[in-house]
Amino acid sequence: MNYNILSYLIGEGFKNVFRNKKSTFAALIIMFATMITVGIGLAGARNVTSMVKQLEEEVPVTVYINDGLSTSEQQEVEDYIKSIESVNKVEYTSKAEALKEAKEKLAENAELLSQYSENNHPFPASYTITLTDINKSQDVVNAINSVEDIKEKIKEIKTPDTVISGLNRIDRGIKFLFFGIGALLIVVSIVIIGNTIKLAVHARRREISIMKYVGATNNFIRAPFIVEGVVIGVLATAISILLLGVLYHLAYNKFNGMLITNIGFGMLQFGDIFQITMLVYIVLGVGIGVLGSVFSMKKYLKV
Amino acid sequence: MIEFRNVNKTYSTGTEAVHNANFKIEKGEFAFLVGSSGSGKSTLIKMILKEEDPTSGNIIINGKDTTFIKSRRIPYLRRSMGVVFQDFRLLPDKTVYENVAFAMYIVRATPKHIRRQVPMVLSLVGLSGKAKMYPNELSGGEQQRVALARALVNNPSMLIADEPTGNLDPDTAWEIMNLLNSINLRGTTVVVATHAKDIVDKMKKRVIQIDKGIIVRDDKKGGYDSEL
Repeated sequence: MNYNILSYLIGEGFKNVFRNKKSTFAALIIMFATMITVGIGLAGARNVTSMVKQLEEEVPVTVYINDGLSTSEQQEVEDYIKSIESVNKVEYTSKAEALKEAKEKLAENAELLSQYSENNHPFPASYTITLTDINKSQDVVNAINSVEDIKEKIKEIKTPDTVISGLNRIDRGIKFLFFGIGALLIVVSIVIIGNTIKLAVHARRREISIMKYVGATNNFIRAPFIVEGVVIGVLATAISILLLGVLYHLAYNKFNGMLITNIGFGMLQFGDIFQITMLVYIVLGVGIGVLGSVFSMKKYLKV
Repeated sequence: MIEFRNVNKTYSTGTEAVHNANFKIEKGEFAFLVGSSGSGKSTLIKMILKEEDPTSGNIIINGKDTTFIKSRRIPYLRRSMGVVFQDFRLLPDKTVYENVAFAMYIVRATPKHIRRQVPMVLSLVGLSGKAKMYPNELSGGEQQRVALARALVNNPSMLIADEPTGNLDPDTAWEIMNLLNSINLRGTTVVVATHAKDIVDKMKKRVIQIDKGIIVRDDKKGGYDSEL
């Protein structure tokens, strides 16, 4: 294929984009909506994933013990925990300290707890266990539960798994919601892009039928329309990534500080999710453009 | 060159358009295909162009059976034949030159070849001075000449004309027929579907007549109707 042919095909494709301004605009809007939806889902999911990772690194296993254990009984539990493989450090938090910590967490609302005295409150004493390997948390839990004598002294074991599975549920929820809607919008986009291309094809059906009689191959006839679909896709990608960047910055300014004070982890920078988003957008834009044109041209290529 | 062997065509609507057609048009021949509207004439042309497939039988073009040709190969088959129609089918937003060059573009001819070939065919059909005009600035006869130039520009071995003079006045029709004849004399096989009775009678060429889907006559040097 020589240079002239290539420039001819691409030139025709660009001409089509501007020939049907209204339908091109409609196609742009729907692709844009699709991409923003997928983009928000992607950004949300990425952030939750990063939080899960940070949590895994920082949240240890916490073992809450029953109230009223004697010192020797406590020692027995502590010694046993220390003997478990992959336990790195064990830190004791007494019942008194537990109340203090709870009050600190509530900060200015601490008076809610004023009715409790140091010896009479619902917060149990606990052992905070740091592991040598975060993936072994379930092993530690199993080891504690396997000894009946120890198990009966323990009120509750909180592992990263319970926190993380909560976050994972959020992650799945985000993915399900946004990618579900996204998938639906992708289908709608393909149909609408297809319709736009169909208009362009219809306007040029005479030319196409002449091309067929003179012996043009289907690919040759299709190429300008595929170019048209891809151009719309790339335009939508550019607009979407810009707007997503702006939205993300707004969200960042609004929520980042809040997240850091409440759960200790901040949001990712937009730069961290830019690459993956751009990749997804290009695949979506080009893919929808190509699929839309190929589907809508089928009928006209029959002759 | 073009051979029909026991060709039948029944459309999905149930209409039997062609019944057991057998004929052979040799290389370099000039043949008229005559018959009233609805006789099956257009269906024969469509089957030659591979626009329609026969229900049964075989069609051999240039020694190749096209009956089971892959659809991917059809464009290449069509490059061996030039086609003109009653309604010219020119692109209104392109000049005469561009309309002709377009046919070379899409078979991916080199720009150099296009620049040489297009003026040559335009002079062959007598339109050298009108290369920059648009189809709506031309008379019907001139438009059909452009269509002919487009059909010939890629040097096809055969020319298929479906009612080429149907929209033209008698004098212009004769000009076009004479042009087709001179193209034939240059070695191109020419098949003309028509019901221009006087022209067929005067030209004394081969006449294949079809009536109600059946080939009723095949005369080497016939007229439009002959006493059967």
